[in-house]
Amino acid sequence: MTGPSDSGSGDPRHVPDLAGFAHTWARAVAGTSYVPMTHTEIEIHLRGLAQRLADALLAEPFTAVPGHQIGADLAAAGFVAPEALGRTAAVLAGRLLADVGLTGDEAAGRLGALLDAVVTGCVRGIRDRTLDEQEAIRRAALTAREQAEQALRASEVRLRYLALYDQLTGLPNRTLFADRLAALVADAPAHARIGICFIDLDGFTAVNDSLGHRVGDQLLIAVADRLTDLASAGGYLPARLGGDEFALLVTGTTCTDDMVKVADRALSTLRAPVRAGDHDLPISASVGIVERRTGGADPAELMRAADTALHWAKADGKARWTVFDAHRSARDVVRFRLSAAMPAALDRDEFTLVYQPLKDLGDGRIRGFEALARWRHPELGVVFPDRFIALAEDTGLIVKIGLRLLHQACRQAVAWQRGYPQPPFVSVNLAVRQIRHPSLVAEVAAVLDDTGLAPDRLQLEITESAVANDRTDTIDTLAALADLGVRLAIDDFGTGYANLSYLRHLPVHALKLANAFADCLRTPDPTDPTGEAILGTLISLGHTLGLTITAEGIETPSQARRLAEFGCDLGQGWHFGRPASTRRVAQLLTAEHGRPG
Amino acid sequence: MQRRPDWVPESVDMERPSAARIYDYLLGGSHNFAADRDVARKAIAAMPDLPVQAQANRAFLRRAVQYVAQAGIRQFLDIGSGIPTLGNVHEVGRRAVDGARVVYVDIDPVAVAHSRALVSADDGVTVIQEDLRRPDRIVDHADLCAVLDLDQPVAVLMVAILHVIPDTDDPFGIVARLRDRLASGSYLVVAHGTDDSRPVEVEELRRLSEKTATPMTLRTHAEVAPFFAGFELVEPGLVWAPQWHPDAADDIGEHPERSSNLVGVGRKP
Repeated sequence: MTGPSDSGSGDPRHVPDLAGFAHTWARAVAGTSYVPMTHTEIEIHLRGLAQRLADALLAEPFTAVPGHQIGADLAAAGFVAPEALGRTAAVLAGRLLADVGLTGDEAAGRLGALLDAVVTGCVRGIRDRTLDEQEAIRRAALTAREQAEQALRASEVRLRYLALYDQLTGLPNRTLFADRLAALVADAPAHARIGICFIDLDGFTAVNDSLGHRVGDQLLIAVADRLTDLASAGGYLPARLGGDEFALLVTGTTCTDDMVKVADRALSTLRAPVRAGDHDLPISASVGIVERRTGGADPAELMRAADTALHWAKADGKARWTVFDAHRSARDVVRFRLSAAMPAALDRDEFTLVYQPLKDLGDGRIRGFEALARWRHPELGVVFPDRFIALAEDTGLIVKIGLRLLHQACRQAVAWQRGYPQPPFVSVNLAVRQIRHPSLVAEVAAVLDDTGLAPDRLQLEITESAVANDRTDTIDTLAALADLGVRLAIDDFGTGYANLSYLRHLPVHALKLANAFADCLRTPDPTDPTGEAILGTLISLGHTLGLTITAEGIETPSQARRLAEFGCDLGQGWHFGRPASTRRVAQLLTAEHGRPG
Repeated sequence: MQRRPDWVPESVDMERPSAARIYDYLLGGSHNFAADRDVARKAIAAMPDLPVQAQANRAFLRRAVQYVAQAGIRQFLDIGSGIPTLGNVHEVGRRAVDGARVVYVDIDPVAVAHSRALVSADDGVTVIQEDLRRPDRIVDHADLCAVLDLDQPVAVLMVAILHVIPDTDDPFGIVARLRDRLASGSYLVVAHGTDDSRPVEVEELRRLSEKTATPMTLRTHAEVAPFFAGFELVEPGLVWAPQWHPDAADDIGEHPERSSNLVGVGRKP
């Protein structure tokens, strides 16, 4: 062998310059793998490896062992592409011996053994690195997936929260409240009882409108806080059902009174003003209560009952609680059904009139008839106006019904006009909403025109309350009606304001005295003549104002006689005839006038 | 399409190829899955020298980091950092300057998880999972603010990222928004794919990119230049990747345009 024999110290030896070798090596592996070094740095790095290879070749005794580490270091530096290893082997085999200055079989043998070790070390390095990287990326993927799943779970929790809780106040929302109620009803023993309060702030819209939603929101939060305190002290479930409506769910009640106590506490905790922004807002609330045995209860129906009771509390004047009452609710339901049936009833002409005579208290002859509305309901039979006129007023349908009935009454009066020399007038009631309706005057004129009724044969009855407020548009309407030649009468006079002074300014022609005045004549109290005195004064004052006076509710001959003595002009009541059909009316008129000519 | 709320997370689908892992494969790494290698092999079939071009891109990143570090930059914001293995910014940066601080940003949750495993113990380096399309969320991110001081110059690296932002997401507006948050003396480093030189092969790569979550929008030289609005381009301007401050003159090679990669570095005055 030709190499130096000294070995083992690891000292650098004098070897031929390896710069050329490193340069060739660097060019050979350039671009095969990404190595974060400049070309110069790569050359310097490979020159270091070349030096270690040369040292190994020249070492005595020779061992190929360092080759493993050199190969591993090559891989560690980033020369991991298959091409990098292949070209490295080619360069080493091609010129390393020559550059180191070795020749001969033994040197070739050493190189072969060294190459074996370098390739083995390098491939093992690459393989380990590949395995490490695969492990790292899989671990990263698992971590990422775990985090994504965690985030998903968190978002599901959040979604669930969003679905079941009110975002503003953090209270359970209507859904959660209803779910909890349904679960309680389903699971509770039959004898258990349950109570619900629906709590609605009074006048909350005004707060929002006048002070803004921020203040409104603060108010709602404050209310929620107070109800939460109340609920946690009593073990109730509070909820915000929406808007300014809250609720409490109470289990284990023993009777309705228990819920009334809860409602009282709720009302009292809400009584103190709420500090919102710069405002001390006075608040009040209305509460609807339902309390009953859990067995057989229907959760949705319980909610409806509480809601209904809440509406009653509002309608009854707010700032109070109202307990749900099945009977009241049933009446409400009937009213609602009647109300809902009215438009179709109008289409089917189910609203008709009956006529009650108004007789002259002097000669007892018929002077007119009051037209009274009836609803000929296909199932309920004849429905009286006290059951449906107010409903029609609420829905506004009274305007259409009233016009239809006015038309009907006028047609009837025209028939009398044609049949009898001194035809009676017809007196028709006008509802407040009709009077307020802008086209009333035009419609009345059109009806008169259509039917050909002489205007003075039509009397329109309006209630005292309709004119008592002195609205100028009402007075204008009455004046316009009077200009048509129609007679106007104040109906039920004496039940409301009984203010004679306003009558001076109104273009009215007649007063109809309320039943109460006739009543005081039926059972005269000799020790207290006040009733009669007032009646006499009213009649004479009415006459002073040029008004015709009609007394209603006359049931006995003595009442009629007494009123005649007071100078009352006309009388109406069972004594003179009950409301009757047109056929019956025709008989009455024929009896007075003879057969129509 | 219904927009998913922010707080509903992406799922992690390892069957879906990821640009970050494909790039890792092209650089010779093994941080990738079969789905990534499948796309990478098809891409190499379309452009056989693609691994070399990927290396050229990575080498540009290294040279640009060294360049701005020599210019005094100590802070780096690497957006679209992918899987920072060999030659990552914090290693290159720290070789160039002591105390370099680095924030990595990527949209890919796996890349982010991997990056965090690499740097978790390393103070002064952090990783954020965020979308470049929401630049304010990047610069206002608490983790970023803990590492970088945006009142001092920063190098913002957007290497092979802007070409995955379609025009409809207003990439120029995004860069302008970031620019406005940078202190004077900050740098913008951009590498952007183009089909100027090899339209047929690059089109095939673009088509393949549609399999990933980040399909490419390639732009011409004239379209890339406006990213540097408000910056002064340093020499030699917007050029092919091998032409930008090569380690040695002959590194440029005869056909630098084959990189299909336009690069430039701008300084905010």
